[in-house]
Amino acid sequence: MTIDPEQLMAYADGELGPIEAKRVEQAIAADPALADQVQRHRAVAASLRDAFAPVERAPLPDGVEAMLRESAKVVPLMSRPARSERPFWIGAVAASLVAGLFAAPLVMPRGDLAIENGRTLARGDLARALDTQLASTQADDAATRIGVTFRDRNQRLCRSFEHAETGGIACASGKQWQVERLYGGMAAPGAEYRQAGSPAAQLMAHAQAIMSGEALNTTDEAAAIAERLR
Amino acid sequence: MLDETDRRVRFIRELEGTRWLRFQEQLLDHLPRLRRFAHALARNAADADDLLQASVERALLRREQWEPGTRLDSWMYRLMRNLWIDTVRAETRRGETFVPPDAGELLGTAGNQEAVVELGKVGVALRQLPPQQREAVALVVIEGFGYKEAAEILDIPMGTLTSRLVRGREALMARLGEAA
Repeated sequence: MTIDPEQLMAYADGELGPIEAKRVEQAIAADPALADQVQRHRAVAASLRDAFAPVERAPLPDGVEAMLRESAKVVPLMSRPARSERPFWIGAVAASLVAGLFAAPLVMPRGDLAIENGRTLARGDLARALDTQLASTQADDAATRIGVTFRDRNQRLCRSFEHAETGGIACASGKQWQVERLYGGMAAPGAEYRQAGSPAAQLMAHAQAIMSGEALNTTDEAAAIAERLR
Repeated sequence: MLDETDRRVRFIRELEGTRWLRFQEQLLDHLPRLRRFAHALARNAADADDLLQASVERALLRREQWEPGTRLDSWMYRLMRNLWIDTVRAETRRGETFVPPDAGELLGTAGNQEAVVELGKVGVALRQLPPQQREAVALVVIEGFGYKEAAEILDIPMGTLTSRLVRGREALMARLGEAA
């Protein structure tokens, strides 16, 4: 009767069914070398567990827990400062910003976004729409559509927008509009709109999270836009 | 139009809120174990904590993909392991396979206090195992998953898991035998 190494290990780990375990026990009784091997399996397992136990007990590193507690619903477009000394994970993180978040490409017309000093600014048609377009009067077929307009906690004027499958939130920064978030794969308004966790829902949830008070109503929106243009 | 949008905002917020909170709380509970797994996989403490951070980030981004009612820990282990494998492959491509692992663990912790954890001979030996054996040993021996669960996390058949596991553990025994 032979016992293969996998069976012996499974026995040491308590992974065998009763009948098979019995068979291994009989073999062990007849062969001290097997009993010895079971002991070694258990000893190595115990010392591995002991070696890593302090890691589990140690306080969590700064950042991880905070990140979770803040429960940022989306990762900021302006990603965290790159840790140049360890470029190792930057690739994975950067990829996750795009692939994980959107599961759909970000598509904006060339010339609608510009990156300056690490900030993403609206340009071209996007800037024009943010500057002038009112949600209440915009054409149904406008290329860029404005969603909600609101003030954030710093009293900046912010607006959500959609352009085809890409949506975002931009906040006024002087004469410019700084794009704070971008979301790919926005479903057309309609049935899918309410699906929790969809890009459209994430955009709305984020708008709500940074909003001070309520979204502006039609009158206040028009007044805020007119005031900015003066 | 704006009223309509407001209603939608509120509706989505409520829906999101409860589901999100549950996810967040559960994930928080699993963090210490996930960190231990990261430290078993990665070659040093800094890479391990980066792996933890990257995994939590990815989990937050992909949380809709987790089905409530299924085990969040298994989902997280799988996610972390897949992130780790990506970097192992990248290292292999860059020919960095033979960087020796660190023996000690400098754990950056809350409040910038650092705790030195000595992994000991067995911890160092684990980090020298080939990645496929290392992940199998870490999941079963250190994290305490059954063979079936571990095979599911790694997305490999049971037979593959047990053969990697036995090879990894025999290598550890041989190394520790030498050292003793």
